Amino acid sequence: MAVAVEYYLLLSAAVFCTGVFGVLTRENALMFLISVELMLNAANINLVAFSHFYGNITGQVFSLFVMGLAAAEVAVGLGIVLVLYRNFDDVDVRNATTMRW
Amino acid sequence: MLIEALIAVTLVSAFAVMLAPDEVAGKLAFALSLLPVAGSLWMFGQFDASGNALFESGSLAFETTARWISVGPYALNWHVGLDGISMPLVVLSTILTSLAIVSAWTPIQERQSQFYSLMLFMLASLLGVFTALDFFVWFVFWEFVLVPMYFLIGIWGGPRRKYAAIKFFVYTNVASLLMFIGFAALVFSLNVNSFDMIEVTAALAANDFGSTFGLGAETLKVLAFFAMFIGFAVKVPMVPLHTWLPDAHVQAPTPASVMLAGVLLKMGTYALLRFNFTMLPGVARDYAVLIAALAVVSVIYGAMLALAQQDLKRIVAYSSVSSMGYVLLGLVAYNYYGLGGATFQMVAHGLISGLMFMCVGVIYNVAHTRMVGDLSGIADKMPVTAAVFVAAAFGYMGLPLMAGFAGELFIFIGGFSATFPYAQLFTALAMFGIVVVAGYLLFAMQRVLFGPFSADTDYDIVPAAPHDAVAIVVLVVLVVVLGTVPEVFYGMIQDAVDPMVESLPEATAVLTGGEL
Amino acid sequence: MVGATELTPAIPLLPFAAFLVALLVGHFAPRLLPKGGAIPGIIATAGSLLLSLWTFLAVSGGGYHAQDIYTWVAGQSTFSLHFGVLVDPLSAMMLVIVSLVAVLVHVFSLGYMNDEGETGLPRYYAGLGLFTFSMLAFVVADNLLMAFMFFELVGLCSYLLIGFHFREAGPPSAAKKAFLVTRFGDYFFLIGVVGVLATFGTARFVAVGDGVQSFPHLAEQALAAAGGDGAMPEHVASFLDVVGMEPQTWFAVLGLLVLGGVVGKSAQFPLHTWLPDAMEGPTPVSALIHAATMVAAGVYLVARMYGFYALLPTVLAVIALVGGFTALFAATMGVVKDELKQVLAYSTISQYGYMMLGLGAGGYVAATFHLMTHAFFKALLFLGAGSVIIAMHHNEDMWDMGGLKEKMPVTYYTFLSGSLALAGIVPFAGFWSKDEVLYYAVNYGLGESPILLAAYAMGLLAVFFTGFYTFRMVFLTFHGEPRSDTARDPHGVRWNVKLPLVVLGVLAATAGLVNMTPVAKVTGLHIEFLHQWLVIPEGSEFAALGYDHYHHLLEAFAGYGAAGVGTLAPAAVSLALAFGGAGLAWVLYNVDSPTEHTEKLGGVKTVLYNNYYQDEYQVWLAEGVTLPLARAADTFDQGIVDGVVNGVSSVSLFAGSRLKRIQDGLVTHYAALLTLSLVVLLVAFGLLGGWF
Repeated sequence: MAVAVEYYLLLSAAVFCTGVFGVLTRENALMFLISVELMLNAANINLVAFSHFYGNITGQVFSLFVMGLAAAEVAVGLGIVLVLYRNFDDVDVRNATTMRW
Repeated sequence: MLIEALIAVTLVSAFAVMLAPDEVAGKLAFALSLLPVAGSLWMFGQFDASGNALFESGSLAFETTARWISVGPYALNWHVGLDGISMPLVVLSTILTSLAIVSAWTPIQERQSQFYSLMLFMLASLLGVFTALDFFVWFVFWEFVLVPMYFLIGIWGGPRRKYAAIKFFVYTNVASLLMFIGFAALVFSLNVNSFDMIEVTAALAANDFGSTFGLGAETLKVLAFFAMFIGFAVKVPMVPLHTWLPDAHVQAPTPASVMLAGVLLKMGTYALLRFNFTMLPGVARDYAVLIAALAVVSVIYGAMLALAQQDLKRIVAYSSVSSMGYVLLGLVAYNYYGLGGATFQMVAHGLISGLMFMCVGVIYNVAHTRMVGDLSGIADKMPVTAAVFVAAAFGYMGLPLMAGFAGELFIFIGGFSATFPYAQLFTALAMFGIVVVAGYLLFAMQRVLFGPFSADTDYDIVPAAPHDAVAIVVLVVLVVVLGTVPEVFYGMIQDAVDPMVESLPEATAVLTGGEL
Repeated sequence: MVGATELTPAIPLLPFAAFLVALLVGHFAPRLLPKGGAIPGIIATAGSLLLSLWTFLAVSGGGYHAQDIYTWVAGQSTFSLHFGVLVDPLSAMMLVIVSLVAVLVHVFSLGYMNDEGETGLPRYYAGLGLFTFSMLAFVVADNLLMAFMFFELVGLCSYLLIGFHFREAGPPSAAKKAFLVTRFGDYFFLIGVVGVLATFGTARFVAVGDGVQSFPHLAEQALAAAGGDGAMPEHVASFLDVVGMEPQTWFAVLGLLVLGGVVGKSAQFPLHTWLPDAMEGPTPVSALIHAATMVAAGVYLVARMYGFYALLPTVLAVIALVGGFTALFAATMGVVKDELKQVLAYSTISQYGYMMLGLGAGGYVAATFHLMTHAFFKALLFLGAGSVIIAMHHNEDMWDMGGLKEKMPVTYYTFLSGSLALAGIVPFAGFWSKDEVLYYAVNYGLGESPILLAAYAMGLLAVFFTGFYTFRMVFLTFHGEPRSDTARDPHGVRWNVKLPLVVLGVLAATAGLVNMTPVAKVTGLHIEFLHQWLVIPEGSEFAALGYDHYHHLLEAFAGYGAAGVGTLAPAAVSLALAFGGAGLAWVLYNVDSPTEHTEKLGGVKTVLYNNYYQDEYQVWLAEGVTLPLARAADTFDQGIVDGVVNGVSSVSLFAGSRLKRIQDGLVTHYAALLTLSLVVLLVAFGLLGGWF
């Protein structure tokens, strides 16, 4: 028997909220990045779940795209984190406030 | 295809001048600017249009239509052509640009190729404004005119050039936005499938409204009228939306001032004539008293402001506000002499105000000051400039047999025969402007040109450079010719405005009969 | 063969050619210009004079002529505006006067300008040429618009010529004042012109030819229709409908508006203040422009459209009162002046007052007559003054003169001839014409229009003052002992000064003989030549311009009725007053060493010296009212109007400067904002979409 789609959605929402919480509260840039990944994957869960539910493969294809995107994003993100560390001797996002008004 | 050729030649010339070295840029630009002059004069000679461009009854000269793109249900087409209203303005633009380029030879010494190139870009877009008959084509040119002018003021201007340039650009751009909304709302509510001005005019005349955003056709028309009116009023400029003008003029280099006063202001009145007064004559008629009052305020208030100024350029700038008030009065009169006079006055004022600015520029080139109090008796040292200045000033005061008088007289006759309430009183009040204008110009001449010579400046007062003198003399001659033979333009102007008058019979109760 | 009438346009165009020659040759090749442009000017004006005389002869033979010359604007759906010539007795007479004085002034200028070594002569002669052109074109104008246009152009020439010595401070200021004050009058005139065009659809003075109409005739029809006789012309009816006025009222308004220009140009109260200042110009210019011709333009205009004014009793009364008042007012100011040209300036104002009085009193012939005689004797007096000024090395103060009679007899006797004419001593020209003006005033005043009697009284009183100031001037200048070194050894003058004086001197003595009304009445001889000249026989197309027609209009529309006063008694009264004035001057000033008697006037003297403070209040209006008002407007504009514009920009900048603080660079805050906005958006959509 198939699991009802609502459970997937709940899971996805929970993961997403975890990610949002992380983005809002973490100070470490790496944790920040991981939180973003969580949010992306919450979306992936959604996509796969609906794809399965409707019997349409497009959603799964999209989730592959998102994973690719996430990989690219992590590459860029880690690059930024490295530069952050190099410039501020820390990976605390609160220190890097030079790009303000 | 002549209009396209004219615009294209001007654009190519602009690029060519941009690439030319500074030393030859001025001469090259002048030589190349003669091409559009010749072209427009040839077109003037071949001109065979009749009727008004926006009426289906009218036939246009040099008309071309080409499919361009379509957006939703609306086709946006390249549509240009000339009628009796636009032809004189095209000739005015080309001739004034040529002369303005000559007047730049002395004062512009930096980044010359860019300067002259921008002048030609401006001419190209002005030609577009005066020939376009599709709203979108027109709007693109209308907005593009601002760009060269912005740079001309912002790069070559006086000490506060950045303030003036930004003020000019932002003010007129915000106004354009309002105008755009007004016109777009009108078009979206009509049963038309293009932004072609002819089609819109016809639909409005037939009252062919579809959905009107729940406002009702009449309310929508009034709102659209005033949105466009305010938008154009900034360009004209009408009091109280005029304050960008003196700043722009005072900061702009002389050639830019010549173009600004001579042609750019006419864009506003031209658009008022084309959009508000041709497309929505009924609304113009209903609010005639309000508009006439605005016109009178512009005339008198502008003249009073000119009276209080010490800077020659500011004097001329404010008097432009005053003169443009006359144009509005002619438009609102909405009869043969009123509309015809308003159109004629656009050309006449273009020449005369251009001439005034060039005269002031010639004096400034030599004396490096424009303040009335700093100079006295310079007629002794600069006789030709002084003579032309006197002629120009009297032209501005409306001396008969000069162009300004013809335009003003037609407007006054029109205003006096208008049938809206208190038209005669408004006209008589506006006419008081001719006394005030005489006041400030005579005072300025007495102080600057005449009396014992003295100059509070570090520079020697010497006669103007020959090319400067020739340029202003040519303009004086043009002003006199146009004043003596107004038929040069007035015949075709009448062709174009008479159908407008006939579209609004209640405005013409007077002035139809009489001796023909 | 070409008739005189075909050549009429050449009369103004010849001086225009001289203007072009003086301007262009004077600029590009001044050496080629003989006598700085005087010779082309003299040739051209002499040509104009000959053609004018020919035209005059043709008109004597009934060769009246009206012709459209040039369509200035061809109205396609409305009326056209055109230039045309109108040659009738009035304009033919004026053409001769103007071209004659112009020739003489050109000749005189050889002595006054060339011999005195002035610079800028091409400019001077170009100005004279342009002036003569404009004035002659004004004279032959066949419609009000054309008249206005050249009316303005003569104003320009006046400006240029008054300010001829532009390197000094005085002349440019006087020129500005002259133009500005007359411009104020012309403002009303222009409204009048526009009003006439709008009301009648034509501005023609006379209707000659098919389908042509003239505005005086249309006005006459409209007034007749208002009185229940005939139909209102359609165009007039539709316009009156728009303004919502009775024809009588509206036409009176139009008449008064046009009169504004007349008052300005003919220097009538209250716009007379420019004329005394205009004496800053070279003396020949004063003679030509500010005495004989341009100042006459206003009066001429009233005469030109007399068919319109004769319909309007109110306006006629205003004209008569303004004229009578100005005649007296200016004469009293002339009494205390010390400078030769100033006395003449005030006498000019006063004499034009008489002409206005004549026109207002229904004395069309009388006013025209005075216009003619005054042109001769006043031009003579100015040229005589010019001769004296040359002799006195450009010192104009009469208290420095004296005893010039023996030194310059030609000037003295011609000047005396002009003075006798000005004072109105029989049989010199001024007597006949001034007397006739006063006769009309008293005759109609005692008849149906008693208001004219007030004007008559003022005019009569002015005769006394005229006699006094004229002979005070003569005695101070020419009689007694010389009071300065220059007066003892004056600079000589040549033929080019004397010739114009002699010609005008003879005319001043004899011109009055053309219309000796009292003599004609007494003897029953038909010697009122001018009167007959101005009558156009019934049946001619030009009859509407004839004196008979005007007379009919005055009686039918303005309600003028003559009392049948005899001609001799009024003439005797005014002559007695003139002698009285002259006699007083004789007693006070015809002594070897005259002294100033002005102290005896007490406080009045101060008032008179200051010209009744007329200049002061006009300057106050310009500088004390208008200028502060303009400055206030400027402050308002810069502060409030531009303040709002700058305020909008400041508010945007300020709001931006506050809002940008959200951009604090903390990624966490950005993320929080994003989330918050998303939540708000979701809630808003939910609420609007009815999800809850």
